[in-house]
Amino acid sequence: MSPITIIWSMIAAACLTLAVINLLVWCRSRTAWANLFFSLTAASIAVFTFFELWMMRAETPEEFGTAMRWAHVPMLFWLVSTTWFVRFYLGAGRRWLAWAICGLRTLSLLPNFFLGQNLNYHQIIALRRIPFLNELVPIAEGTPNPWILVGQLSVVLLVFFVADASVTAWRRGDHRKALMVGGSIEFFLLSGLGEAVLVFWGDVQAPIVFSLPSLGMIAAMAYELSHDVLRSSQLVLQLQARENELRESEERMTLAAEATNLGVWIRYLKRDEIWATESWRALFGFAKSEPLHLDRILQRIHPEDREPVRLALARAIEGEDSYEMEFRVVRPDGQTRWIASRGRAEFNGESYPILTRSVSLDITERKQAEQETHLLRQEIAHVGRVSMMGQLASALAHEINQPLGAILRNAEAAELFLQHASPDLDEIRAILADIRKDDQRAGAVIDRMRGLLKRNKLDARPVEVGELVSDVIALVRADAVARQLKLDVDVRVDLPPVCGDRVQLQQVLLNLILNGMDALNGASGRDRLVSLTARLNGSQTVEVAVSDTGHGIPADKLQHVFDPFFTTKPNGMGMGLSISRTIIEAHGGMLWAENKNGGGAVFRFTLPTTDEVPSE
Amino acid sequence: MSVTNPTVHVVDDDTSFLAAISRLLRASGFAVKTFSSANDFLAQCDADSPGCVLADLQMPGMKGFDLQLALAQTRNPLPIVFLTGHGDIPSSVRAMRGGAADFLEKRAPKDKVLDAVKRSLARDTCERESRTRQRDLRARFDALSKRELEVLAHVVQGRLNKQIAGDLGIHERTVKLHRTAITTKLRVQSVAELTRLTLQAGMFTASRPTFPKGQ
Repeated sequence: MSPITIIWSMIAAACLTLAVINLLVWCRSRTAWANLFFSLTAASIAVFTFFELWMMRAETPEEFGTAMRWAHVPMLFWLVSTTWFVRFYLGAGRRWLAWAICGLRTLSLLPNFFLGQNLNYHQIIALRRIPFLNELVPIAEGTPNPWILVGQLSVVLLVFFVADASVTAWRRGDHRKALMVGGSIEFFLLSGLGEAVLVFWGDVQAPIVFSLPSLGMIAAMAYELSHDVLRSSQLVLQLQARENELRESEERMTLAAEATNLGVWIRYLKRDEIWATESWRALFGFAKSEPLHLDRILQRIHPEDREPVRLALARAIEGEDSYEMEFRVVRPDGQTRWIASRGRAEFNGESYPILTRSVSLDITERKQAEQETHLLRQEIAHVGRVSMMGQLASALAHEINQPLGAILRNAEAAELFLQHASPDLDEIRAILADIRKDDQRAGAVIDRMRGLLKRNKLDARPVEVGELVSDVIALVRADAVARQLKLDVDVRVDLPPVCGDRVQLQQVLLNLILNGMDALNGASGRDRLVSLTARLNGSQTVEVAVSDTGHGIPADKLQHVFDPFFTTKPNGMGMGLSISRTIIEAHGGMLWAENKNGGGAVFRFTLPTTDEVPSE
Repeated sequence: MSVTNPTVHVVDDDTSFLAAISRLLRASGFAVKTFSSANDFLAQCDADSPGCVLADLQMPGMKGFDLQLALAQTRNPLPIVFLTGHGDIPSSVRAMRGGAADFLEKRAPKDKVLDAVKRSLARDTCERESRTRQRDLRARFDALSKRELEVLAHVVQGRLNKQIAGDLGIHERTVKLHRTAITTKLRVQSVAELTRLTLQAGMFTASRPTFPKGQ
């Protein structure tokens, strides 16, 4: 076989191989358009090689002409596919230029097939054999076809197109791509064009051999594409490494979570699968390999808390994205534990939820402590409310029983002495004097008690209303949460201090707020609200109002609420408001009750500011 | 042995009440001594003189309960009746657990107060007698020698002289001599009486005998 046949066949084979490989790549990944066009480019060169070989083996001018005419078809494919390869691979190039190239080249097929022998020659007169690679190959002699300009114009446009696209890619930073792809194509185009010009317009004797230089271009393009494949495989490796790192960090996170008794669980929404750490399973009382399902988890949650948890989870998925809640879990062994959970939904792109990720922590001990504190607070509040009466009664009993006891025993002794035949009258006189003394003592105790509540006994000092309110609110906040009602506080920051006894004023506020909260006991719905406002009334009075959204006070009872022992509560003492009014009046203020227009009661009291100290 | 009349010791910081209650007690025929504080009383009190204590529960300084504890440490604890201005259940329970004879309010009916005093004086007499008996008994047993005690231990178990001699490695005649010495020292006539007395004195029991409380 001749070297030409061998070389050309090898070129064709190489091109076809590359074409098939890249076609397969495109089949796998339909968006890899660059691979498809490269495949077309390589295939068209392979076909072109065949026609070139035919031309070199032509016996007659007619045969040569026909081969040349048909060679223009793969030429067209080559041009078009190269154009679009550049366009897709470099992601640059003017689209109109690309269409112009395709259009012109297609147009050039008309004169190729219908005007003259082919696009190159109007008519081939003879074939002349010249030596090429140790053989004699024919070259044509005849009149050139003027329409070849159309074809060559398309090639010139391609030169510009590729140059433009390469410059754009270069500027973008893709230096190597621009150089390799743009450079090799330009080199091939310019050398091919140059040869054509020399052969057809000049007088150079050479066969037309496009395929040989095109091999360089194909190699460059293939190298570039394979470079991409190489890089993607490197990316895969990196990705794997990253995944390993990720897994390790996840493991570390899990380890840390386990160490702090934090349970972690992830719910994959699409697969409807739940993954959880061991400590999470322990929290909820699930065995190690027990399959998890949302319904089963919800079943573990205390019936009273189940619905809120379900809602919180649903809301997180619907786009509220994160949640935080506390609920009870009833384990299969019957143990009830308090769990705090915090979670987040993660979304795919815009709004499609993929998974929820949550951490849970056993807070039973904290809860118990809270509940104890709460009970204690309630106790304090209760003691606070009854303490005035209780203290009074207890102190009275202690202080008065002493003189009363002495009086009793003295009187009894006197009786016994009088039973004697000759009573010792001195002794009896002494007894009577002692009885009188003890009676005065008892009277003094009562006077002192009464004086305790009097204005002149007040420990009056400047008191900041804001501090007063926040002290009391701190005391009742937990109570309000437990009773599921809202506590609204609106205290103006620029209030001047009032003058009074801090403890007694706290007592009044506490009493009014707890009354307001009690008034909501029967009320239902979402507006269970006790609000406290404090504002300046005039220039020297602060007015504090405590209102509730309960049923209000019946009109016929409105004037009795401050009476001692008046109460509407089953186990109330009926002393709170009475004492409160005494305290406020002792402070030189007023305390009164009203019904609000929208329902509910409001208790208001006034206190003079420090500028206007009540004087005795 | 004391022959003084039993005395009611009244302890209260409230001088007015102290005077009144002592008048009542004296008018009712009791011998009374008054103290305005628990410390005063403890300093002056004679453990051998019979009587009882009538004390206020709430006093400044040493409280009623501390007084109760201090009294219990003495050789002859006097029974104590607590008086309080304002009684509550926890303190009454505590007082009775501590061995108080009674717990009364200051304004309790006269008869109740006088009854309580009488009862505690009677209790004191009774306890005092039993303590004296016990002490006397112990003194008799203390007179026994070590060997005599060993022999006694065998005798009250009902063992024969021969067996005792074998166990202790002594002659049977020596055992007989020891037995005579024991019956003489303990002033008993029979083995049955010997056994009863030994039990009463709490000899040969795991723990030391405790003095019986109450009647």
